Amino acid sequence: MENELKQLIIDALDLEDISIADIDSQAPLFNDGLGLDSIDALELGLAIRKKYNVKIDAEKEDVVKIFSSVATLAAYIQAERS
Amino acid sequence: MMAASREFEFVVRKWNAWVPGMKYHPDWHDWFNNQDPIEPEQALISSNVPKPLQRRLSPLARAVFNAADACIDNDVAMPVVFSSAHGEVNKSLEMLKDMQRGEDISPTAFSLSVHNAISGLFSIAHSNHQEITVLAPGQDGIAAAFIEALGLLQEGHDDVLIILYDEPLSEFYPYLPFALTAKTSGALALKISWAGDGLPLQLCRSSEHRNDGEHALQIFSFLKFLVTDDQSLQLGNHRHSWIWQKK
Repeated sequence: MENELKQLIIDALDLEDISIADIDSQAPLFNDGLGLDSIDALELGLAIRKKYNVKIDAEKEDVVKIFSSVATLAAYIQAERS
Repeated sequence: MMAASREFEFVVRKWNAWVPGMKYHPDWHDWFNNQDPIEPEQALISSNVPKPLQRRLSPLARAVFNAADACIDNDVAMPVVFSSAHGEVNKSLEMLKDMQRGEDISPTAFSLSVHNAISGLFSIAHSNHQEITVLAPGQDGIAAAFIEALGLLQEGHDDVLIILYDEPLSEFYPYLPFALTAKTSGALALKISWAGDGLPLQLCRSSEHRNDGEHALQIFSFLKFLVTDDQSLQLGNHRHSWIWQKK
């Protein structure tokens, strides 16, 4: 699941120079980590909705926590789907 | 409306253009004389552009960045006047098609489809916090960008960068009989000042009624004027005409 999500991130956000191996599941996705920004967050939210049919509501309080790393994102998607 | 036409004199300090297929030609004259069917080609951009921004650059944005590179001094930011008839309208059309199919629109594509998207990326990439203007003059052609830039010089800026750019319009739009789309993409950057080394030009209004096509076509007319020995260039539509003269 985590690798599948990493590939989705790479494809949805056009991260041409980055491979799955370059993304640390525990590392921050935004700012310091991969250097993604708020438009990337929206784009990733859309890609997740299309692929997993899981909607991440931007109004939710825990949205920052959900998007904090690949691991937290994968855990959230799995919990929502089960 | 001006009662009498005024002449404006200025100097093109530097200029540079990007067109597809240029690398197959030894010089501009050859490019103009032998425009074979052109393969799609991406303009090269400076590695100084931060990586997260590079992936946001459309082919048209890359053309703009490429053309501007030779005209900008990285440590000195100057006001920039961007001018494009259509900008990224092809991107908007793709999004409208997505909507018609009932698909969600990409937030990234939406944010990059607006007319000042390229100028925004440009200002971030070059940390340029000077005044930046984006015109969509359409039928009024490239003269509007010069007028805007001359106004900025008049306000006291030493240099102003003009960037004219357009790409072919999607066939979805009925471009005949309007003469509003060129066959290829093109970006032309000109750094202008009141004085200094470079190509001195004079710009003035003309009362002649003529039709030289819209902005996208006029970019190539002006490029040809720069690279040939032609001493003057007149461009206009049915309302306004302008004459550029080499001094």
